[in-house]
Amino acid sequence: MKKIEAIIQPHKLDDVKEALKSIGVDGITITEIRGHGRQKGHKEVYRGMEYEVDLLPKIKLETVVPDARLDEIARTIVASARTGKIGDGKIFIYDVAEAIRIRNDDRGEAAL
Amino acid sequence: MSEGSQGAAPCARLDLNTLQSTFEGRDPFAVLERRTGQVDACVISTCQHLLAPHLAVPFALAAAGGYGRRELFPCSDVDLLLLVGSENDVRQVKEPLSEYLRVLWDSGLRISHSVRTVQECCQFNEQNIELHISLLDLRFLTGELDLFHRLQHSLTDFYAHQGKRLAVRLAEMTRQRHLKFDNTPYHLEPNIKESCGGIRDLHVIGWFSRLYPNRPEIAETLISLQEAKRFLYTLRCFLHFESARDNNLLTFELQDEAARRLATEPVSPENWMRQYFYHARQVFGSAVRPLELAEAENSPLWRQIRERRSRISTPEITISRDRILLRHPALTLSSAESVLGLFTFAGRHGVRLSWDAQRRVRSEAARIRQSFLQAPPSWRIWREFFSMPHCALALQAMQESEVLTAAIPEWEHIDSLVVRDFYHRYTVDEHTLLAIQIIDKLKGNAPSAPARFRHLAAEEEDPALLRIALLLHDIGKGTHPGDHVRGSREMANIILSRFGAPESAKAAILFLIEHHLDLSQTMSSRDLHDPATARLLSSRIGTQEDLRRLALLTYADISAVNPGAMTPWRAEQLWRAYSIGMEQLTRELASERIHEAELVGKTSLPAEVAHFLEGFPVRYLRTHTQQEIEHHFALYRRSLREGVAIDIQREPHAWLLTVIARDQPRLFASLCGALSSFGMNIVKAEAFSNASACILDQIRFTDPLHTLELNPSEVNRLEWTIACVLKQTISVEDLLKRRRPAPRPARTAQITPSARFHDEASDTATLIEFIGEDRPGLLYDLASTISAAGCNIEVVMIDTEAHKAVDVFYVTRNGGKLNREMEEQLQADLIRAAAG
Repeated sequence: MKKIEAIIQPHKLDDVKEALKSIGVDGITITEIRGHGRQKGHKEVYRGMEYEVDLLPKIKLETVVPDARLDEIARTIVASARTGKIGDGKIFIYDVAEAIRIRNDDRGEAAL
Repeated sequence: MSEGSQGAAPCARLDLNTLQSTFEGRDPFAVLERRTGQVDACVISTCQHLLAPHLAVPFALAAAGGYGRRELFPCSDVDLLLLVGSENDVRQVKEPLSEYLRVLWDSGLRISHSVRTVQECCQFNEQNIELHISLLDLRFLTGELDLFHRLQHSLTDFYAHQGKRLAVRLAEMTRQRHLKFDNTPYHLEPNIKESCGGIRDLHVIGWFSRLYPNRPEIAETLISLQEAKRFLYTLRCFLHFESARDNNLLTFELQDEAARRLATEPVSPENWMRQYFYHARQVFGSAVRPLELAEAENSPLWRQIRERRSRISTPEITISRDRILLRHPALTLSSAESVLGLFTFAGRHGVRLSWDAQRRVRSEAARIRQSFLQAPPSWRIWREFFSMPHCALALQAMQESEVLTAAIPEWEHIDSLVVRDFYHRYTVDEHTLLAIQIIDKLKGNAPSAPARFRHLAAEEEDPALLRIALLLHDIGKGTHPGDHVRGSREMANIILSRFGAPESAKAAILFLIEHHLDLSQTMSSRDLHDPATARLLSSRIGTQEDLRRLALLTYADISAVNPGAMTPWRAEQLWRAYSIGMEQLTRELASERIHEAELVGKTSLPAEVAHFLEGFPVRYLRTHTQQEIEHHFALYRRSLREGVAIDIQREPHAWLLTVIARDQPRLFASLCGALSSFGMNIVKAEAFSNASACILDQIRFTDPLHTLELNPSEVNRLEWTIACVLKQTISVEDLLKRRRPAPRPARTAQITPSARFHDEASDTATLIEFIGEDRPGLLYDLASTISAAGCNIEVVMIDTEAHKAVDVFYVTRNGGKLNREMEEQLQADLIRAAAG
């Protein structure tokens, strides 16, 4: 099993959700986050007042998937989250040691 | 099993089903009485069988808390106090007591017990205020009656001496509990015991009536809440039976069930919940009063504030103990206008109505409704009301005294309305009033609000429009649940007509209602980096003023959904959406022009007026009503005959100068100079020119010395002077020589002047954004500097926020943009000019 963690642009969330749903991925966790990569922050001047915009709003999407579907799902996220501009985000993939469904103690991929 | 319990069958396991049969008649008090009787029998007989024979010391068993009051709900805890004679006795009772309690637990009772001496019970313990409160409801069960009487006697002394101290701590605890529930009873899924206006608040009133025996009005309040008590007690019995545990959370599912089972006639869960909120509102309002009494007695500072406020009075209204009292209720409540005046007073000073005033107003609600229908207050009165700094508090006071539905009958559609939504925590009316409270806080510069939105609120000159839009933005939820935006707009249109709102105000409010979801949708579903998003926003919103109000409205609307809704993430997104829209609208000032061909046929404007408008910025159309446009056209015709047309009008807070003339060098600077020579202070200005080189300048100015107001003939002299300046028969420089020199910016000026140049803002002109400390004559100096540099001012938008001038100029030189060298020179010149 693998955990996919994707940092995407907020306005792409609906597209990514739809794309994942269309390939049968329903279980995702969404978090509103702020951060920056190479895109970095900047100073914004509004009517003479300077505002530090060092952390830009992003969405973090997490899902744990069976190994066999990893590639397909990661590709789907990339395709649906891409605008081609700086700031589109990144995907990180982790190994998952175990998954347990609390309700009935299912283990492994059966718990996903 | 210990020896003592062998063979003993002190009481059978208490069965909820038997108790539930008592509830079929919907009489909660019968259930409480029966439950208390059952538990009494069990606790006493078990004690006589299992405890008393094993205690070698004198003791008394007493019921405390709700059990002591004989108000045991089906699954409530049972509070027991075992009273013993001395500290030594406490150790001796330990073992038999534990066996006794085990048997009671096995009988299905959730026991909460303590073992204490008389002395312990009467020693003030800061850490255990709950004990002192629970002993207020003490009731003898079994054991030594003398010992119990000794405690009662000592407690009487204790409460007489420590009552006030205890009241203060009880008030603190109650406030903390209310805070946990956001100080409002209007939760979509309320906890009917602990939340504001819940059963606990009824208990609090009861305890205060005992702690303040010389304040009979507190006990009288309880009598007036009998109906609410019956409703809430019925509901709690129902929840306990339904959940078979001490559950007090009225979830959506249980609301469905309660509406079906408890209502006397068929009713939807939403409408049944309105009954709950009605009672909770009464209880909460009544509970807050003794809290304030305890707090006021405790705080000398509070007393000082109260006394200071007592001096703020009018012939009809006075303030006492920080509450509004009516000197002549019949007079104050005689007309809709004076009723609204009462609440305007509350909104101005941030003071609530006294209990008595509220009662009187409520008793006249039907008549007040009639007077609002027959002789509604004028727009001026409504506008003043919505301009008050504590408008939300005044609206809450109107809601509590039932005046809000009398004044705006449509409010009834959302009064206590539950709309089941995953994110919303409050009823629609509470959400609405909270949103207005957030605007009040932003306008009041409350430090808890983000600085950016506070600054935005400070720029808003007419918060009344914003507050009215917020008050009505969800009013369609009651009648048009599927498309509340349309419903709210339609209803607002009717209400605003009744208010007598002028077309411009009406248009601004309806616009905000119609677009109140635009920014939140943009920030979550659009790419804010994409220029198309900015263009879309600007095309939908149209003017900087509307965008600013919409950003504030969206901030308040999201923040009032639940306390955690406006996360820093959302605030950042909203700000970014606002910023890109603002930037785009500023850019479009010069580039987006009116085209005559597009106007003809699409608007009701005559062809000659459309020709006059050709080439003005699109902003002109968006910010002026048809009536104003026609007035400008009439001035234009006059200017053709006379060379120049000048019009000065008095507005509520300023004067408005409109000038139409042929374009000429230094024209805008000359106008500013002429006004400065009269000592006028320019606060806003817009200067446009059309395709036929006709300029239309509108300048709003204040008259700090009231020259025009006190000497009406001076208006004519000002018009004449401006005309002479424009015809160049008088020199501005000569006029200004006669005036005292403009004061230099104060050394303590906080705003460092800055001039930023944007080349990409327009295809044909350079945008200069100047920010600096405002002072009389500043605009003349800046405009003169630009003209002296050989530049032509194409479009101007001047704004003043308190002491800050925010001036935007679109300038050209020799028909094109400024080059880098020119920009640097002009930047230095402007900063120097601003320094005076």
